[in-house]
Amino acid sequence: MIPMIDWLIFSSLLMAVGAYGVLTARNGILVLMSIEVMLNAANVSLVTFSAYSTELHGYPDAMGQIFALASMTVAAAEVAIGLAIFLVLYKRHDSIDVTKINILRW
Amino acid sequence: MMIDYAWLIPVFPIIGFLIISLVPKKWLIWEGGAPYIIGMSTASFVLSILVIIDVLNGHTLTGPDSPRMTWLSAGSFELTFGIWIDQLTAVMLLVVSLVGTLVVIYSVGYMHGEGETKRRYYAEIALFIGVMFGLVLADNFVEMFIFWELVGLCSYLLIGFWKHKPSAASAAKRAFIVTRVGDIMLLSGLIILLRYVGTLDFSELFAEGSLEGSGMSSGMATLSMILLFGGAIGKSAQFPLHEWLPDAMEGPTTVSALIHAATMVKAGVYLVARSYPMLVQTPDALAFIAIIGGITALIAATNALVAVDIKRVLAYSTISQLGYMMLALGAGGLIITGLMHDGGHDGLGAGYSSGIFHMMNHAFFKALLFLAAGSVIHAVGTNDMLKMGGLGKTMKITSITMLIGSLSIAGIPPFSGFWSKDEVLASTFHAFEDAGSYSTVFLILWIMGVATAFMTAFYMFRMWFMTFTGKQRSDAHAHESPVSMTVPLMILASLAAVSGFAFFIGRGFFSFMSDSISSTIGSSVAVEAIHPLESLGEIFTSPLTYASLIVSAVGLFTAYSIYYKGAFSVSRLASGVTGKLQKLLAERYYISWFYDAFAYNIIYGISLVADIFDRYVIDGAINGMAWLSSKSGAFIRRSQTGQVQNYVAAIVIGGCLLLLFLIVFEWGEW
Repeated sequence: MIPMIDWLIFSSLLMAVGAYGVLTARNGILVLMSIEVMLNAANVSLVTFSAYSTELHGYPDAMGQIFALASMTVAAAEVAIGLAIFLVLYKRHDSIDVTKINILRW
Repeated sequence: MMIDYAWLIPVFPIIGFLIISLVPKKWLIWEGGAPYIIGMSTASFVLSILVIIDVLNGHTLTGPDSPRMTWLSAGSFELTFGIWIDQLTAVMLLVVSLVGTLVVIYSVGYMHGEGETKRRYYAEIALFIGVMFGLVLADNFVEMFIFWELVGLCSYLLIGFWKHKPSAASAAKRAFIVTRVGDIMLLSGLIILLRYVGTLDFSELFAEGSLEGSGMSSGMATLSMILLFGGAIGKSAQFPLHEWLPDAMEGPTTVSALIHAATMVKAGVYLVARSYPMLVQTPDALAFIAIIGGITALIAATNALVAVDIKRVLAYSTISQLGYMMLALGAGGLIITGLMHDGGHDGLGAGYSSGIFHMMNHAFFKALLFLAAGSVIHAVGTNDMLKMGGLGKTMKITSITMLIGSLSIAGIPPFSGFWSKDEVLASTFHAFEDAGSYSTVFLILWIMGVATAFMTAFYMFRMWFMTFTGKQRSDAHAHESPVSMTVPLMILASLAAVSGFAFFIGRGFFSFMSDSISSTIGSSVAVEAIHPLESLGEIFTSPLTYASLIVSAVGLFTAYSIYYKGAFSVSRLASGVTGKLQKLLAERYYISWFYDAFAYNIIYGISLVADIFDRYVIDGAINGMAWLSSKSGAFIRRSQTGQVQNYVAAIVIGGCLLLLFLIVFEWGEW
């Protein structure tokens, strides 16, 4: 069986990749995609802890998997809203370059 | 029992004040609403008389069972408004209601030409009378202090009634500020009492041994009593805070009459008399009161010798007579304290009673003198006695009533001033015999008192002869004043002539007054009743009486020969040593000058420093804080770039730092 730590390392790497995407991407769609990657990194962690629950504290626990499902639902809704925002932004500014959109500054 | 309705006495004039202040102009009927005020003050007068009859029949409202209502309560401290009526209150009620009513009636004639401002005048007069009633009826020091301050406010408003005159405005401010110095002392004294005794109710403070029983050291008790007297120094214009009263002559003469006879300055005498049960526990404070009173009597009398303003002569004579009252109260209290240890004695309450007696008589003859002076000023149009003269022919009623007042204040029998002034000097002399360690002081005070009696007779008749006899020195067509002015004069003149007879009518004034302290000072000091006829005999067999009578007569005769006969020209005194003395007196011993210099240089200097401190240090600190906030805000807001990725970077860096922190410090491993 694959040791638990490998899954967690994988999850961390996935999170780092997502964060890098959010911080560097100029295209709004890419930012959204990177956020999805980060969310899924978290889901991997949750499922891992659920799968290894018997070894961790002696009884099976499905809570992590339930959380993962819930977070996927939230992610789907979030993407819908995010895409809608970018659609409006594109209509107003002819661009979805996040570095050019700074109307919420001081 | 009418005494149960005594709380209505102050209510009537205050209702009058509200009516005049609030109703539309067309409802004021006549003379700016004077009928309302005359009606209300007459109602108070009638009710006062009924209450006084109850008191004469032996009913009083004192002690813890007097009617009261709770105003506010905080923990164990409860502030109540109540009514306290004893013999002293009865005398005050008589004085305030009678003089107040007569002054209001007199005002109808005197203020006739004032036009629109009459409304304000009558409203303020009504309030003045009402709050003075409140003051004398109060049953605790907090209530009394509230009315005390209101009296000060009303006197400020009325002294500055002719506010368009800069001298009146500044006199009003001066009266307010100088009496405020006294008020602060009074308040400090009350705070000490509250701190130690835990209450300001008369019924508890006036219990026997209330000060020592509360764990006060005798020094602290004396200090609190002297501070309490400080309030009276300010209010009753005692040395060294007496200079506001002559300046207060800037107000209408009716206001002066009210202030001098009934309301303002009598409040200080009332305070001392009211505090007697506490004062007799502190002999040193009583000696202080007597000394201040004696000094005041002498100094003010010397000032009156050279004054040429008819109202200023009267103002100085008021200060001087108030000094007499304080002297009598202090001396009488010392006799009581001395005898509290040695057992009973005849006429224990004599000093106290003679002070109150003099206050009552003074109220009548001083109101009379002021109203008569007002009548003269009304006719001639000036206060300057050098421009009067020869008015006796045209103003018969005024000149005769004023003569009665002058004879009375000069202490010529059988007019009222004789009886009380003689008793004041007699109790001072008794204090010299009985007061132990203070006896030398009281001998000096007695000599000062006799000298004052001489000067009083002299300056009063100097005034009378200068005003009513000799050649007319102005071209004004003087005429007798209207009826509303002469009738109060005649009433007051008859009172000034006969009020001294209260001394031996019935039980006699002194045993009546002694009841008010024997009920509060405690049973161990039974104040013995003095048989009136017996004391009458005592007066006319005592050499002291003849001493004071002779000096008064000499004073009168000196004034007669100088100002009527012209046997001696005063102008010859205008140079050399006497000229210097004259200047010193005319400049009021430079006390006023000293206060001005003190205020301008020291206080103004301190104010300037305080102003600079306020402007640059306090305001600087506050403005600096504001400046710092706005500048730092301007700097920090640059971090809100609006760039989403900057925020995300901050979140990521913050998360990483938190993680690092947890790893290093919390889990302790790497």
